[in-house]
Amino acid sequence: MTMPFELIVGAWVATGLTLLIFTFLYKDNPLFKLAEHLYVGVSVGYIIVKTYDTVIVHLVVKPIVENGEVALLIPVAIGMLMLTRYVPKAAWMSRYAFALIVGMGAGLAIPRTISSFILKQVEDTVRPLLSLTGPDGMRFSMDVLNPSSNLNAIIILLGVSSVLFYFFFSIEHSGLGKAVARTGIIFLMIAFGAAFGYTVMARMSLLIGRLTDLIEFSDASYGRPAIWLLILIVGALFVLARRRPDHPPDTR
Amino acid sequence: MTFSERMLQIDRRIIFLVIGLCTLLPLLYPVGLPIKITSEVRAVYDHIESLPEHSVFLLSIDFDPASKPELYPQAIAILRHAFRKKLRVITITLWVSGTGMADQLVTQVAKEMEKAYGKDYAFLGWSPGGQAVIINMGQDLYSAFPSDYGGKATKDLPVLDGVRSLKDITYLVSLGAGKPGVEEWYVFGKDKYKFEMGGGCTGVMAPGLYPLLRSGQINGLIGGLRGAAEYESLIGQKGKAVAGMDAQSATHFAIIVLVLMCNAFYFSLRQQRK
Repeated sequence: MTMPFELIVGAWVATGLTLLIFTFLYKDNPLFKLAEHLYVGVSVGYIIVKTYDTVIVHLVVKPIVENGEVALLIPVAIGMLMLTRYVPKAAWMSRYAFALIVGMGAGLAIPRTISSFILKQVEDTVRPLLSLTGPDGMRFSMDVLNPSSNLNAIIILLGVSSVLFYFFFSIEHSGLGKAVARTGIIFLMIAFGAAFGYTVMARMSLLIGRLTDLIEFSDASYGRPAIWLLILIVGALFVLARRRPDHPPDTR
Repeated sequence: MTFSERMLQIDRRIIFLVIGLCTLLPLLYPVGLPIKITSEVRAVYDHIESLPEHSVFLLSIDFDPASKPELYPQAIAILRHAFRKKLRVITITLWVSGTGMADQLVTQVAKEMEKAYGKDYAFLGWSPGGQAVIINMGQDLYSAFPSDYGGKATKDLPVLDGVRSLKDITYLVSLGAGKPGVEEWYVFGKDKYKFEMGGGCTGVMAPGLYPLLRSGQINGLIGGLRGAAEYESLIGQKGKAVAGMDAQSATHFAIIVLVLMCNAFYFSLRQQRK
């Protein structure tokens, strides 16, 4: 089965740009800059076209012209006020639009954020250190893998209070205070370690994604772009490395 | 210059080469290391598994091609699962830069699972506003998305029968690579309109979302390529994520060895200077 032409072109473009970006690992060079500028340009171009088509054409012009929804002119007018920033004498008018957006944004975000990130998280952090199990009396569960176990509640208590102590209490960290602050540092290091581990995993996943594509595009059905372009780019790097600089370094 | 000094000043390109080889070789010659399923990924799977046929499932594809290697396999696995369970699948994106990719993704999986557009699934596209879109969808889905990605009126889509707002959604999964993403869907969607929700994210974001998972604000979390590989294993359709896990393990091993070696050389140098 023959591969569609646009897929083959796409494979060559994707492979070329990937390899050009990878040349940065050798050193900063014009090939990398070309790919970098293309990436930024294409991304911005795509977003502008998509936004124009969705917002201006489908959400503004068509409803007004085809369905007569003239009420849409009000948000359009408010949006247009923002453009007055480019006319110094009329720039003050943009404040009405910004006031509306900031006011509405804050009004929507503040209550929801307090509810979701402060109250719910405090609720989850403040847990009883012992469980009451009815007539059997109090019980202590030791399961580390169960987030709601009593042992985990104690670990969270230790972690939250020691980290808060390390950051907030401006007393000298000596004696018992030093021990608590050091415990806080250990908890922080564990948290940073976990975050770093996940970050490494994420970056490696991106590399795996690119390499998977390069392996796929080294197939004969695409015309082996990965192999040919790799040879071409290595050759170009070699030529660039041997080229004399326009301005030789000052050796005086 | 001692050996330790030389090793600590090694050209960074040698390290890049080692990492590159550790990633490339397992991709070319896979070993098939076992994949352990974590409870947070299983929770998303179990919830979709427990949904009755024709439940309304909303998948928000909140990423763009920059996060494709991690989130694309997650999206494919979840869509395959939802289609297999015969759910009514509605997909949208809150990221304008991910619109074309999301359309391609949904169309590809639906074609593979032989699902009909409009009847079994729909892609509503992108609408401007970020979190405002979520609030708008909570009030009236048709005002947030008057037409789908192809320009067809959403009211005419049979897959949306009986769905007026987010309150009519049975389960939602947001696959987010930043803002707006999982957090925004919780804050402006689930917390306000009360539906069950799971999340998927890039590896970088996962530690920041674990507090939401622990407190039960989201019922499950698929983190990075590893999470995608776990989901692929759960649905029994191994794809790109599972294929990448050998490389992931090899690279992590290489990084651990490099960190240990660096520390060993550093301490040995300090000992010599004493």
